[in-house]
Amino acid sequence: MDGAYETFEKIRQSLEKFHLVLRLGGQCVQFCLCGANSMFDMDVKLPKLGEGADSGSVVTVFVKEGDSIRKDQPILELENEKAVASVPSTADGIVSKLFVKPGDKLSVGQRILSVSGGAEGATDATRSNRMDGEISNVVVQSNPEEHDREDEPDVADDGEGGRKPETSQASGTVPAAAPTIRKLALDLGIDLARVRGSERGGRIVMADLKRYIQNLQSRGRGEKSAPPSEIPSGPVSNRIDFSKWGPISAKPLSSLRQVISRRMTENWTTIPHVTQYDEADISALLELRKKYAPAFNENGARLTLTSFALKAVCSALRAHPIFNASLDESSNQIVFKDYYHIGIAVDTDAGLLVPVIRNVDQKSILDLSKELESLAAKARDRKVSLDDLQGGTFTISNQGGIGGAQFTPIVNKPEVAILGLGRGLLKPVVKDSQIVQRTMLPIAVSYDHRVIDGGTAARFVVGLVEAFESFRDKDLA
Amino acid sequence: MEPIQTEIVVVGAGPGGYAAAFYAADQGKKVILVEKEKRLGGVCLNRGCIPSKALLHATHFITAARESAERGISFESPKVDLAKLRVWKESVLQKLGQGIGFLAQKRGVEVLNGRGYFEDSKTLRVESDQGQKFVNFEHAIVATGSKSALPKAFDLGNPRIMTSREALEIEEIPAKFLIVGGGYIGMELGTVYAGLGSQVVVVEALDTILAGADPDLARLVMVRAKKTFSEVRLGSKVLKMATSGKQIRVESEFEGKAKEETYDRVLVAVGRIPNCDDLGIENTKIVRDDKGFITVDAKQRTADPSIFAIGDAVGGVLLAHKAAREARTAVDGILGATDVSLPITIPAVVFTDPEVAWCGLTEVEARQRNVPVEIAKFPWSGSGRALSFDRIDGLTKLVIDPQTERILGVGIAGVGAGELIAEGVLAIEMGATAKDLALTVHPHPTLSETLMECAEVFYGHSTHTLAKKKPV
Repeated sequence: MDGAYETFEKIRQSLEKFHLVLRLGGQCVQFCLCGANSMFDMDVKLPKLGEGADSGSVVTVFVKEGDSIRKDQPILELENEKAVASVPSTADGIVSKLFVKPGDKLSVGQRILSVSGGAEGATDATRSNRMDGEISNVVVQSNPEEHDREDEPDVADDGEGGRKPETSQASGTVPAAAPTIRKLALDLGIDLARVRGSERGGRIVMADLKRYIQNLQSRGRGEKSAPPSEIPSGPVSNRIDFSKWGPISAKPLSSLRQVISRRMTENWTTIPHVTQYDEADISALLELRKKYAPAFNENGARLTLTSFALKAVCSALRAHPIFNASLDESSNQIVFKDYYHIGIAVDTDAGLLVPVIRNVDQKSILDLSKELESLAAKARDRKVSLDDLQGGTFTISNQGGIGGAQFTPIVNKPEVAILGLGRGLLKPVVKDSQIVQRTMLPIAVSYDHRVIDGGTAARFVVGLVEAFESFRDKDLA
Repeated sequence: MEPIQTEIVVVGAGPGGYAAAFYAADQGKKVILVEKEKRLGGVCLNRGCIPSKALLHATHFITAARESAERGISFESPKVDLAKLRVWKESVLQKLGQGIGFLAQKRGVEVLNGRGYFEDSKTLRVESDQGQKFVNFEHAIVATGSKSALPKAFDLGNPRIMTSREALEIEEIPAKFLIVGGGYIGMELGTVYAGLGSQVVVVEALDTILAGADPDLARLVMVRAKKTFSEVRLGSKVLKMATSGKQIRVESEFEGKAKEETYDRVLVAVGRIPNCDDLGIENTKIVRDDKGFITVDAKQRTADPSIFAIGDAVGGVLLAHKAAREARTAVDGILGATDVSLPITIPAVVFTDPEVAWCGLTEVEARQRNVPVEIAKFPWSGSGRALSFDRIDGLTKLVIDPQTERILGVGIAGVGAGELIAEGVLAIEMGATAKDLALTVHPHPTLSETLMECAEVFYGHSTHTLAKKKPV
């Protein structure tokens, strides 16, 4: 162990260099062995939300102290990475204490409220944190003398991990790890509930702890120097006083906008983009649409161009699987997906959201139309769950409803390509040596040039145009 | 007189106190250990764990000899020489006590015989026959332990009404012996006296003996006690005791009826109270709870920054091994190390016949707290080892997290359960799963196999019992 301690001492020092405060000593540790409170008061903590989503800010709190709540009942609304999602309770009971208020930043594992007289759940919630818990932000161990546990709600998460470690798990168990590992974690101020155990039963071993610490370090290097919130990212730009030249107003970036900003910057700077343009003749498609729209209306669905686009894209993806793949940079692999989950960019008041329609290949245009409508409504009402936003293999951004021709969409990582559609326009086109009127749909496909070569992209676009041009009655009947 | 200067003074030389003193000395601290009794070791060594186990060992042979007649080996009725038994028991305690004294001496721990009394947060007065001494300390560790509670109603000044302390002296073998309290002390000493030939009656107010142990484990002790004791009354209360010549007249209530009986001796084993009075605690900032136990935090710090407290004096489970662990935590705290005691589980062992031992989450506790668990049980009737010594009245059970299959609790009833439980403690501390236990080769034929087989029961493929196949 001496060797291991040395290593960790080094790591600890370097962590401190990155201005991570690891306060040693004074940790408040309470175990679940005894104590009537811990027996019957249960904490509801923020569960794991989804890929890359380990924090957010509280928009609305639906419950107050004294309320009786049921398991799975929404208790608050959290604005995070991609959406505003409601967070369900993991326990039944009476809310004995509420630890959050609107505007608070919350991280996975952080206490939301305590319930008393309750049953079920807290264990599950904490367990799933540990089992599925994405390696998360830096943990700062608070000193109980400065913030005793009652003060916890006031310890606002600064978005960088000012969260309170929960070494005690109200009704659950201490993370599965040998005493040496637990001791080491305690010395380093690391909450093992945040470390993913790789062994059977989620047992945490030294390698897991190392990996976790390395992750903290890399975060320390990266995001620490440029926190995404409050301070503008990138090199410190001089603050300009715009009011010198006239009246101004300002509003803070919403966390959704911050995320969009961060992701767009990352995608644009890390993916070498190429955009291939073309036009598809959708005159026949529009005829079909005209013909079938009433029938769709009767079925409660709106037949839109996007419904066709989903099918067209799907057939092109089938023919060109590389467009449905992802680049796994950590293992230098291209991962091909045998499913077709297509994201649809939705313009909302708060900003861009991309809910995903699953298994597009297995659904009829009618089904897709229905789903599109409900998903878009959900997105606009900010009721999209994180599940709805994940697992996409390709994205469509259709601006046709608004106007404009081709544009350069930015690839939505970890996807490798994206389709941008403009507004279809009636144009004179030469066909069979005749100038005819056709409605032409502007098409733009941006792709990740690391993975896809130009020739492949050209073939994909040709195939896509063909797909748009070859819809028949049978596709809609 | 000049006060003695020391870095650490430990008050009380029980298993917590001497462990603290030794560990602190090992870490290079100047330590004074204060003990009011001549012999070091506290209740554990002098009036608890050790003498009771010595007596259990001695009397075990009486029962074993009787039972071996069934197996074709018979002995004449045993003759019990109580004086000799006491001398032997005393020799065991003497050896251990001297051993502790020797270890203290070699470490340079100065032992002061006398009663400790806090003058203030920095000074302890030690009163002894030779007068009094003052100790100026940087840190003190209070490890004064606990003693048997004797409710006022039973405290008649009659030596025939005993606590465990007197009962362990075995002045005589009472023909009719009443034990008030079916906890571990009552049941253990009942086993001793029943072995010696007393007719033992246990009266327990609760509806179970050995509160805290799962009922399926306690049941095995009950089954045996029904054979060896004359009676175990649950849900029964002793209302009054009175001296009646050389006997005690006892009024009690059982199954709604009043009873009046006479006994030759009575053991009152209804709980323990901390030794925190007459300690000068009021001269320090130490805070006590409503039961008189000293309030401490996770680092064993009392409300007085220079004073720590450990063991029975701070409450919780009153067990020697808990005190010993807290001793290390306290010393680490004084040394400024970050250590906080980390154990997930403190095992409990009851040295009844059969023994009962458990650790971690019990089945009852899981149910009370709504923790989802699966229970796997392996009855010892499937153990060749248990059969070979004719004691299949045993049960090994695991409390398992159904999701991760992690072992959350272990319970064992049976001969030698106390020796077996440590594997369960290790499994829990290491975060082992039932699979880990099932995959670990256990030697045959031993009782330890029951732990492995129990884990196999969980997976539905135990060799020596028929377990329900687990759906895959």
